[in-house]
Amino acid sequence: MITGGLDLGAGVIKGVLLEDGRRILATASVPSRGSPVQAARHLLDELGETANIAPGDVDYLCTTGFGRYSIPERNLQVSDFTSSARGAIFLFPKTRLVVDVGTQASRTMSVSETGRVLKFKMNEKCAAGAGRFVERCSKYLQVPLEEMGPKALGSEHPKLISSVCAVLAETEIINNVAEGVPLPDILMGVFLSLSQRAYSLMRYVGIRPEVTLVGGLVRNVGMVKALHDTVGMDVNVAPDAYYAAALGSAILGHSRLLKLAQAPRGTGG
Amino acid sequence: MSVVVAGVDIGSTTAKCVVLGEDARILGKSLNVVGVDIVKDAERALEAALADAHLSRSEVSFITGTGYGRYKVYFGQLIVTEISCHARGASFLFPGTRIVVDIGGQDTKAIRINEKGEVVDFAMNDKCAAGTGRFLDVCANALGYDVAEIGPLSLQARRTVKITSTCTVFAESEVTSYVSRGKDPKDILAGLHASIANRTLSLMQRVGVEPEITFTGGVSQNEGMVHALRRRLGAPVNVSPLSQYLGALGAALHGRERLAGGAS
Repeated sequence: MITGGLDLGAGVIKGVLLEDGRRILATASVPSRGSPVQAARHLLDELGETANIAPGDVDYLCTTGFGRYSIPERNLQVSDFTSSARGAIFLFPKTRLVVDVGTQASRTMSVSETGRVLKFKMNEKCAAGAGRFVERCSKYLQVPLEEMGPKALGSEHPKLISSVCAVLAETEIINNVAEGVPLPDILMGVFLSLSQRAYSLMRYVGIRPEVTLVGGLVRNVGMVKALHDTVGMDVNVAPDAYYAAALGSAILGHSRLLKLAQAPRGTGG
Repeated sequence: MSVVVAGVDIGSTTAKCVVLGEDARILGKSLNVVGVDIVKDAERALEAALADAHLSRSEVSFITGTGYGRYKVYFGQLIVTEISCHARGASFLFPGTRIVVDIGGQDTKAIRINEKGEVVDFAMNDKCAAGTGRFLDVCANALGYDVAEIGPLSLQARRTVKITSTCTVFAESEVTSYVSRGKDPKDILAGLHASIANRTLSLMQRVGVEPEITFTGGVSQNEGMVHALRRRLGAPVNVSPLSQYLGALGAALHGRERLAGGAS
């Protein structure tokens, strides 16, 4: 049984193909510019090619994220909280707190042993707590996005940012550059600022180990280090955690499919 | 002794100076963009206002500094918060003022004052660019306009586009997406001004809304913003071409009083 999971995020669309709810066959992502529906269809084709599966062989498609209602082919859609939590538990079964930092929103949820979301908190109103802040810094500091993390690791005295607002922080950061603050210190300051915002969300739902970071920023080593230092405990990270929400929705799609198969005929889905 | 006093207001974006003579008459004023060297900017503001007044430095008896960068006005004899100065300046221009709304380049304040121009209560947003001049700057940029153009353009709107994002960064993306969907930039601009008016009203409600309302700060020079604020409040709003100088004017007035008090 093959299920597909699509996470239509504000910045990136992520996709996963999953076999029998257990084995990851393919993962892929594409920026969600232009038409998300078209981008998502291309992504599904790409996933199929990687996994060597014809489009018709996907038994069930489950969407999640900001644009989850935009895909007509979907069989099911689930909320980002549910899917991220499920993906995190799949990757790290002892997860009790999930932190998901995305392009436009960051969320955190406490989860039960079975992966059920117990409590959650989200920031979607302010760019300072989301990846958009890092993207903007990348632009005006002229450091490519993928180099920001590794460069930040060279920081010896991180330059903390006093502004809470992403726009006001820009002025502050530019002043820091003008004053000759080393770039790694500025970059680490950006990640620490983001981590502090995540930390206040985390405290709201309650911090319990294990903590698992998922979503767009999990690939960023600077963010991982900053979050670890801010929270003061180990934070689980894995390459596939980038796809946690897509993965989680593929898993949830699989569970739904099993339930449908067991249900008596005629009751429908 | 001549009683020429000066007030220097160092804002986040511009430095203003007002020189007052006998009977609190404005003899000269200046406005410069603030750069990296604030100390120099403060001096330049004073020199420019003195040049405007055809006076030399030695003819000034007292200098008061105010604003975000007031501690960089090293040549001054007094430092007063911008809140007191805006209150004083607004009350001087419009004696019936009870609420001062000051929208600057990077913060917004609502100040309740008494009939003497003294501060009774105030509320301030200096944590978030939404609702400040910075918000307009960023969005004007996203639309490819100079910030000076957008007020008049917003007045030509036919159907205001509602901006749902509070955050400046997200509003910028929202603006871009409306442009790509073919919305008229004028309608978008009207929506942006309405969004600031909303933020301003909620700040004002923290101190109480009561006439007369005087609108000060750099953004008060934007006629689109004045219109949006009047419309949102459903009440008249005092504005003056001198609005941007009210901080500096208030500082000078404070200095004048201090001088008079000291002499008596």
